[in-house]
Amino acid sequence: MTEQYFSGLRIELFLTMLILALLVGKVLAIKQNPIGTLTLISVFLISSIGISFMQNESGYLFGTMFRTNSTILFEKAILLAGTFIVFMLGFEWMKKQKHFLEFCMLLLSTLLGMCFMISSGNFLMFFLGLELATIPLAALASFDLDEKKSSEAGMKLILSSAFASAILLFGISFIYGTTGSVSFDTIASAIDGNNVQKFGFICILTGFAFKISAVPFHFWTADVYEGAPVAITSYLSVVSKGAAIFVLMPVLYHAFGRMSSTYIPALILLSTVTIITGNLFALRQKSMKRFLAFSTVTQAGYLLLGITGNNTEAGASVVYFMLIYIFSNLGAFTVVSILQNRTGRDDIGVYKGLYKTNPTLSMVLLLALFSLAGIPPAAGFFGKLFLLSSAAGAGYYVAVIIASVNMVVSLYYYLNIVKMMFVDEPEITIEKLKPAVTEQISLFICCCGILVIGFIPAIYEYIYNLSAAI
Amino acid sequence: MGSSIFYFLGFVSIFTALMVILSKSPINSVLYLVITFFSIAAQFVLLNAGFLAAVLVIVYAGAIMVLFLFVVMLLNLNKEYEPHKHIYIKFAGGIAGGILLVTLIGALHGSGEIADSTLNGEASYAASTGTIQNLGKSLFSDYLLPFEISSVLFLAAMVGAVFLGKKEKSSPKVSAEKI
Repeated sequence: MTEQYFSGLRIELFLTMLILALLVGKVLAIKQNPIGTLTLISVFLISSIGISFMQNESGYLFGTMFRTNSTILFEKAILLAGTFIVFMLGFEWMKKQKHFLEFCMLLLSTLLGMCFMISSGNFLMFFLGLELATIPLAALASFDLDEKKSSEAGMKLILSSAFASAILLFGISFIYGTTGSVSFDTIASAIDGNNVQKFGFICILTGFAFKISAVPFHFWTADVYEGAPVAITSYLSVVSKGAAIFVLMPVLYHAFGRMSSTYIPALILLSTVTIITGNLFALRQKSMKRFLAFSTVTQAGYLLLGITGNNTEAGASVVYFMLIYIFSNLGAFTVVSILQNRTGRDDIGVYKGLYKTNPTLSMVLLLALFSLAGIPPAAGFFGKLFLLSSAAGAGYYVAVIIASVNMVVSLYYYLNIVKMMFVDEPEITIEKLKPAVTEQISLFICCCGILVIGFIPAIYEYIYNLSAAI
Repeated sequence: MGSSIFYFLGFVSIFTALMVILSKSPINSVLYLVITFFSIAAQFVLLNAGFLAAVLVIVYAGAIMVLFLFVVMLLNLNKEYEPHKHIYIKFAGGIAGGILLVTLIGALHGSGEIADSTLNGEASYAASTGTIQNLGKSLFSDYLLPFEISSVLFLAAMVGAVFLGKKEKSSPKVSAEKI
């Protein structure tokens, strides 16, 4: 009986142990050694990825509070891998920080919150996980104490996320008031889609849309992404967003399963507006971080479109896309981080003529941007293909056509950066940069991910079988 | 009898909550907020949740409100500093809020029978529901995991707050700017 609890909660227990170990290390004032700490964290994260693949039994723990099955564990493994890459790409910046241990502790506690959020079988658990994933992130976004912009980013993040949480809670209270429960199972059987429940659902969807920065709720995104340290920006754009998308699926399919006539039009509207607006704003950005912010807004639109599809297929295509998206976006952010650390600038002009001085970095960024744009040799193409075919399979052709047209528009701005790097004359002279070992690891993993996942169909089949097994 | 007390308390809490937003002086806002908390605590008593009512009064009306008052006084916010917003912004806010209100009224309209059927009257109002004993039991059985997670949440929030509080000392650039 007790083994069940240990094996079901193994990743969460691992992370909690790690967080407490870091805290004890800080309190006892053990002499700080950033490389040692990083090694400890890496070993923990990689072994957590390892144990997430063994012995996957599904079921509930603590009543209906905690839900686990093989898809959830696979999603957690994706988030763990993303966090590992974030640690790798940001380490050069992190080790210079005076409060390195606090940084690691806060980052890992948001990861813990996301793990609980994905596993929640209950709105109470979901909300606690969401708060645990959001509040420390605000402290992290303002981590660059010398930068006013960074403080501004933290402030904007905490205020707007508090507002979104309030709306989410408002919606949950309506659902609780009309169904008498916060457990997904009970809600699924008690819900009948009356007007009060529709109103509550829209409020809950608003909370989610804020988290994944879908369009009417995206105003915080660009400012926070620009001001926060690069490591946190990449974490927000990939891991945090991924967790919200992963938990949105069971909430829609399971708890609100009977209200599909309400949520599908809402999702299609949200995704179409998101894709179009994200694209239009990405066209005119001058800062690379803002540019990538709007690029992630657009990707969120494609993900929402994928969710509208058929149950198993949609779930598999969303998880598959997130897996690819982690590698492509983090690959791009690694290059941005290296350039920003060395030159202190992140405007697009820095990238002009980058190929002449730094061919390797340019090639990695090229690969990442191709994957984000969805150009065939890179894995991103297959990810978007499955998302769109999932929506098309459910018969939402108009939305799919709009999304495809926007993919063509997005090619313009992704390729514009590629053109700058390879064709334009350099604006400023950058000497040949040598990435540190951790950054090389991050670049290597991302490149492998982008190239390999697209060429091995077994990965999609594996994810599909996981989703189908539930 | 019970329902007339409920309506009275509901009116008081909504009225004072509105006054929190509408009153010009921050001190008045804080005092109105204290009344709001008290009337909500009285609502808890009506629902047989005496312990929650006491905690609400002690924690919110007592500790947090005192903190609010301190901040208001330390920052000397007594005067009206808030800049006047542009008329278009007020107009847009009014329309958006109005639409939300109409939607909410529309959603709640005719939902009386739903509320009756789901709450099924007396059953959920058993006298022992809100006692400390029952609260403690359900906190450590049904709600054990959320309870434990909230402890990690507070730990993380505390670390974040302490870190942000260190700001002045560790940033030479900011202090140089001030001089």
